[in-house]
Order: sequence, then C-alpha cells, then structure tokens
Amino acid sequence: MANTVIGSSIVIDGEISGDEDLVIQGTVKGKISLKESLYVEGSGVVEADIETQNVEIAGRVTGNIVASDKVELKTDCRVVGDIKAPRILIADGASFKGNVDMDMKER
Amino acid sequence: MATGETGIIGKGIVIKGNLTGGGDLVIEGRVEGQIALKNHLTIEGTGKVQADIRAEELTINGEASGNIDASSRVAINASAKVAGDIKAPRVVIEDGAVFNGSIEMDVRLPDDI
Amino acid sequence: MATAKELSASSNVDNTVVGPSILISGRLTGDEDLTVRGRVEGELTLSRTLIVEPSGVVKANVAVKNAIVSGVVVGNINATESVELTREGRMVGDIRAPRVIIVDGASFRGRVDMGDVEPGRLPAERPAVVRPTAVTRPTATPARPALPSARPMPPPPPSRPTPPPPPSRPTPPPPPARPSAPPAVSRPSAPITRPGLGGLGSKPLPPPPPTRVERAEPQAEQAGSAEPPTPVLVGAGAKKKVVVKKKTR
Repeated sequence: MANTVIGSSIVIDGEISGDEDLVIQGTVKGKISLKESLYVEGSGVVEADIETQNVEIAGRVTGNIVASDKVELKTDCRVVGDIKAPRILIADGASFKGNVDMDMKER
Repeated sequence: MATGETGIIGKGIVIKGNLTGGGDLVIEGRVEGQIALKNHLTIEGTGKVQADIRAEELTINGEASGNIDASSRVAINASAKVAGDIKAPRVVIEDGAVFNGSIEMDVRLPDDI
Repeated sequence: MATAKELSASSNVDNTVVGPSILISGRLTGDEDLTVRGRVEGELTLSRTLIVEPSGVVKANVAVKNAIVSGVVVGNINATESVELTREGRMVGDIRAPRVIIVDGASFRGRVDMGDVEPGRLPAERPAVVRPTAVTRPTATPARPALPSARPMPPPPPSRPTPPPPPSRPTPPPPPARPSAPPAVSRPSAPITRPGLGGLGSKPLPPPPPTRVERAEPQAEQAGSAEPPTPVLVGAGAKKKVVVKKKTR
C-alpha cells in the first residue's frame, strides 16, 4: 500500500525519507532513504542515491542503489550507478551501467 | 457576557474619543478613538471604527482599523474590512472579508518543529 | 528513458501524495495538486493546490495557487488565489493571498496580507458609498500575478478601464500589471458566490484522493501510453537538469 506518490510534474530537490512505499512519477534529485519499496515509474527520473528495501525501476535513475532485499530493473529503464543488493533482476531491454554487488549478508 | 444591556450607536452618530463600558455594544455609526468594553462589541455593516479596540468578543460586519485585543474571540465576517493587528484566542475570517494586518493566536505546534 | 512526453504520460494521476511517514526536505516544485500527510520541509512551489491534511506538517516557504491547511504549517504562504485554515489548521507565518479564510478552531500567528485592497483601505478615508456600488464583482480580487516571491505591495495602478475578461479567476495571469485593480477596492460586501473557486468557499472539499497507480508489473508499458494533459513546464525544465547532472558517489 504505497500511499506516497510523487506525480509526474513534481520536482523534488532534496531528501526523501520514510517508512512506506514510494512511487515516483516525477523527478527527484538528492537522496532517498526508505524502509519499504521504491517504484520509479516510466516517467520517473531519479538523480539520487537510494537506500531502501526494494526498488523497481522502469524510469531513469542516476545514482547508487543499496537495497536490503531486491533491485529490479525493468524493460526500458535506464540506470547509471552502482547497485548493491542480495537480489538483482535485470529485464531484457533494460539499460544499465555500473557495478553490481550481490555480496550482502542480509537475506 | 454578563449583562443583558446592549447599547447602540446609531447610524447617524459620530463619536470621537474614548468609549468604555460594561455592556454589549453595537456600532452602526462611526467611532474614532479608543474602545474598551467588557463584553461584546459588534460593528455593523454601516459601522466604521477607527480605534484601538479592547473587548471580550468582537464581531465585525463593517469597517475597522486599529489594533484589536479580544479576550475571547474576533469574528471578521464576509462583509467586513479590517486593518490592524489582532490579538485573541480565537479569530475567524470569513470568505469575502478583507483583512490586512497580523493575527496573534495561541498556536500549539508539534514539539519537533 | 523518460522523455518529456513520457513525463506527462502518467499524469493521469494528477495528484501527488506525501504519505504519513514520509519526510521530504529540500525543494519541491510542481504543476499538480499536492496532498501532504507526512512532512515537507524546505521550499514548496506549486501552480496548483496544496492540501495539508491533519497529519501533515509543512515547514517551508510555500508558493501556490490555493492552500488548504488542516495540519501544521510553519512558514510563509503566498497564494495567488486563496488560503484557508480549516478547523484543525495551525499555522505560524505570514499569509499573502487575495482571499484568506480562517475558520473557527484554526489557530494562526502571523500577518495576513490580502493585498490589493490595501491602498484605499483605511475606511475613514473613503466615502461610505463605495462598497455597494459594484454589483457583480468581476474585478474584485483579481487573480494576481503569480509572483509570490517578490511581490511588493502593488501600487494602485492608474485606473484602467478595461474590465478583466473572464469572471472566473483561474490561472494567475502572467502580466505584471494587475488587471484593473483600482475598482476592486469597492468590493461588494455580501457573501459572494465565486465561480472561480469551485466549492472552496463553502465546504473545502479536498480533491478526491489520488487514485493510486498500480505500481508493479505494468508500469514499464504504461509509460508508453501518453496523452499529454498537463503543460509540462516544470517537467521540461527538470528533464534538462537531469541529463546534465550525475551524482558522484
């Protein structure tokens, strides 16, 4: 139950933190730290370091991602940055540039 | 609002000076100076007050300029035009009212602000 | 690969919600309504309506079209149309807006500036006749230019015969000259129905809760189905910046 949605026309320059799911359709720059899941939708643009439990990316992310559970890069996403997570899924059609580190104790 | 007496300053009346009293007062005319009332002051639509006002409660339908200090409540109704600083525990501004000035109420904020 | 087109693609969900546990600190801008149930700190600029719900806290300088405050706001609000503090609203800061409504129960500390009425304001200086003259009020409280940031008390422009075209006052007109302000001083006093403000006056109905997008699987495809409803001013700008910058680690 994600009740936070950053709509497509919204631009946030700063930090977002919280204990709930977050859906980004707009633009976020800065830093994101969540205890739950982050969804970067097709229209979403994130230029931030991300720390969360799960991430699903269909949009564009520039920044480093650390997830305690899973990172999923979906078709058509574009991700530049390093990913650290115990589970990483990269779909066909996703574009990704960066390092992957799956060596994590949590799981 | 202890007393049942209500004074009225009618439409044609102009008062310049200080106005003090214990009962309720309705101003339909014009007052310039200072007003200090124990109870309820009402400035009707025809009323124009240019004065610092102290009262328990104040209802404004007309025009007022000056500072307002009310011990209970200030209501600025839709037809009112008010300029000045207001101090009161409760202040209400209706849609349509015109107000310019400051308002000081007690605002309880969360601790972490 | 979000393009400007895609940016507007999913804007069918035209409402941004900041959930109760979320804290956003920094600068937030946008062209859609924003509902705050959590916390926003910093600076907030919207071309539409900000709704601070009872659980919401905004500690920021705010520039919006409309603001409805049922939660807490600490900071200044500049609104091109209206600011309403509802029963549960609490605010410390200054308000600048042509319409300001403070409901019984709300608490507020700060200045209120309804602007354009200021110049002719002092009642004593005006003959009694003024008020009832204007019957309809096309020009009263004209939407003011949306320049909340630097808005010096507008000097009463020389009388300007042309009446502003639409009675409703939807979007703040960009031209710096305020549309026919001077007659506005004589503003009919009766409670007026204001077309421009859909319901706000009587019953502040916050816009319907955002229909949540399903956020899981289909989103990748979703992005493609684009109709461009909102002018993507901010989006476009945002886009640019995004390409440029890359966060170092």
